[in-house]
Amino acid sequence: MTQVFELWIEYWPMLAAGLATTAWICALATMIGIAVGLLLACLDGARSTILRRTVRAYIEIMRGLPILILLFVLYYGGPGIGLRLNAETVGVLGLGFYGAAYFAEIFRSGFHSIPKGQIEAARMAGLSAGQIMRHVKLPQMLALITPPMVNQIIILIKESAVLSIITVAELTKNTAQFVNETYAVVGPYLAAALLYWLLVEAVALLGRTVERMVRY
Amino acid sequence: MIYDPPKPVIKIRNLVKSFGPFTALSGISLDINPSEVVCIIGPSGSGKSTLLRCTAFLEEYTSGEVEIEGRLLGYRKTPAGMVRESERNIDTARRNVGMVFQHFNLWPHMTVLDNVTLGPRLTKGVPAAEVSEKGRIALAKVGLADFTDRYPSRLSGGQQQRVAIARALAMEPHVILFDEPTSALDPQLVGEVLDVMKQLANEGITMVVVTHEMGFAAQVANRVVFMDRGQVVEQGSPDKLFNEPESPRLQEFLDTWRQRNLLFRSEPQQLVAAC
Amino acid sequence: MATVSLIYDNLPMLLWGAGITVLVSGVAIVLGMPLGLVLCFGLTSSRAWVRHLSRLYQSVWRGTPILVQLLIIYYLLPFLGLNVPPVLAAIIALTLNTVAFQAEIFRGGLLAIARGQMEAARMVGIRKWTARRHVLVPQIFRLVIPSLVNETISILKNSSLVSVIAVTELMRVSQQIVATTYRPFEIYIAAAVIYIAVNFLLSLLGRAAEQRLARGV
Repeated sequence: MTQVFELWIEYWPMLAAGLATTAWICALATMIGIAVGLLLACLDGARSTILRRTVRAYIEIMRGLPILILLFVLYYGGPGIGLRLNAETVGVLGLGFYGAAYFAEIFRSGFHSIPKGQIEAARMAGLSAGQIMRHVKLPQMLALITPPMVNQIIILIKESAVLSIITVAELTKNTAQFVNETYAVVGPYLAAALLYWLLVEAVALLGRTVERMVRY
Repeated sequence: MIYDPPKPVIKIRNLVKSFGPFTALSGISLDINPSEVVCIIGPSGSGKSTLLRCTAFLEEYTSGEVEIEGRLLGYRKTPAGMVRESERNIDTARRNVGMVFQHFNLWPHMTVLDNVTLGPRLTKGVPAAEVSEKGRIALAKVGLADFTDRYPSRLSGGQQQRVAIARALAMEPHVILFDEPTSALDPQLVGEVLDVMKQLANEGITMVVVTHEMGFAAQVANRVVFMDRGQVVEQGSPDKLFNEPESPRLQEFLDTWRQRNLLFRSEPQQLVAAC
Repeated sequence: MATVSLIYDNLPMLLWGAGITVLVSGVAIVLGMPLGLVLCFGLTSSRAWVRHLSRLYQSVWRGTPILVQLLIIYYLLPFLGLNVPPVLAAIIALTLNTVAFQAEIFRGGLLAIARGQMEAARMVGIRKWTARRHVLVPQIFRLVIPSLVNETISILKNSSLVSVIAVTELMRVSQQIVATTYRPFEIYIAAAVIYIAVNFLLSLLGRAAEQRLARGV
């Protein structure tokens, strides 16, 4: 057992670097996911049928697709169609646009939760679509959508482990490196699991704080 | 000098609205003149609310025209026919129309004052202090000057509806549309809302009121419009409509109503609270 | 044209891989149901230590990446002297993972069922587990079918990860084809289409089952 701890301490810088990469990639992917997801949810309410169908198709495709396949198409298939991106970029974009489909569904359920009459009252008060979003829809939705959003961010963090397969030096990849160098197996992965768990708990804690703040 | 008749605030011509195979409005024409109080009555499902919602363009109408102060609302005439206006132009065209809804539709995450001032603050480019002052005046007018910092959920239904009226007033509209403003209220709260509306009528504000409150219509309206099955069946002064109805449908409607409210002839004053 | 024949030539391989994908995920889901129900009753147990242990299990399996869980199990089994083929390690990992998620789904269903029913069953002398099996479980299943279909789709997608421990399911087969044809874009898109088709079929089945059960009530 002491051996395991000694190894953990010896390889801590490597694990920490991996954790940091996981964290910034997930942070960027979350921002992309939320922005694109909000855009998709807004387009889903558009009057154009073609636009709405396209959005639905995008969401259904992403939800039926393993993230690993999406990453492989982008990373290994991309160069074939002139798309040359490094592994980190593929990771951020892949996770972001994949997550966007799920964030869009969360926003959509949020929009649905607001009584139609409130939107009509806002239109009668002369507010533009953007102002209605900013002042009437979003502030009310926030309390409702924060828990599923936090949940989705946690799923995204866990999914980011897959980036190790396309060689991004994040936590799981660095742990594999640790395994290769020491021939210890279970110890390093347990350390990784613990770090993921801590990261997830930290996000959950942050989520609960935000949840308290957005209650009106 | 030649007499110049007043230009109507709202001019509705041949308005048709269908929901799939169902025709809710089949060719309505109606003018609302400045300072007029028009009450629209009729059985439920007769298209009263739909008419009001089409007038505000909350509902797209199928054909016909709605003009607000001489400006076509919702559509634009082109050689190729009617084309839907952009949201921005629709907002501009109905800038002077206020609306009060059956279910108040206050925004629950804002204080009473914020509910009243949000519209003017975001759309009129008036300094914040001035907007707030106008909001307070509007709230004072509906008797809720002391409630500025409360949230809607802490108010009674009648108070909420008065806030909604203040919210409409704060936009300084040229006409206010009331869509069954007392139908969602407990009977004992109806009076306070009708009192406020009466006061607005006395101030000369142009109002169109869809209502089941016959007492209010009898007392306050300059003109009563009876609708049934998507059509205007009869209209005229309240005195004429209630006492000498011409069409059998209106007679039937009034009879049914009287049977339900036996008080009608003896004590019209109490009706306001009774129904 | 070349693309069409490329896909056509490799379609049998891809479909074979898809079959393994469905098999591995299907077994995991089915094994996960009874275990998930047990964990669900553990989560709602009246004994505090049972509740805490159940929650700990759930927290661990829901709070870490499934890829890491898979690797731990894959390496841990031989370490414990159990030399199992990769496909079995994959099934074990996916099952242990889905149990944690299914338990939560079942718990949601359980909470929606009136408490009095269990009490009524106990009062006519039916034993606790018998009552659970005959009174609660059928109702829970009826309530949770949509969530269960979603969980199945999620496991099916996650099963692509078992390719890293050399299980030749759809993902792995695609990689092997790419290694010989050097046509990653076309092959991975083809695999993506198969995944989406299978998941689409699943959601259709789920909807049909939901309607049948709804009529049966």
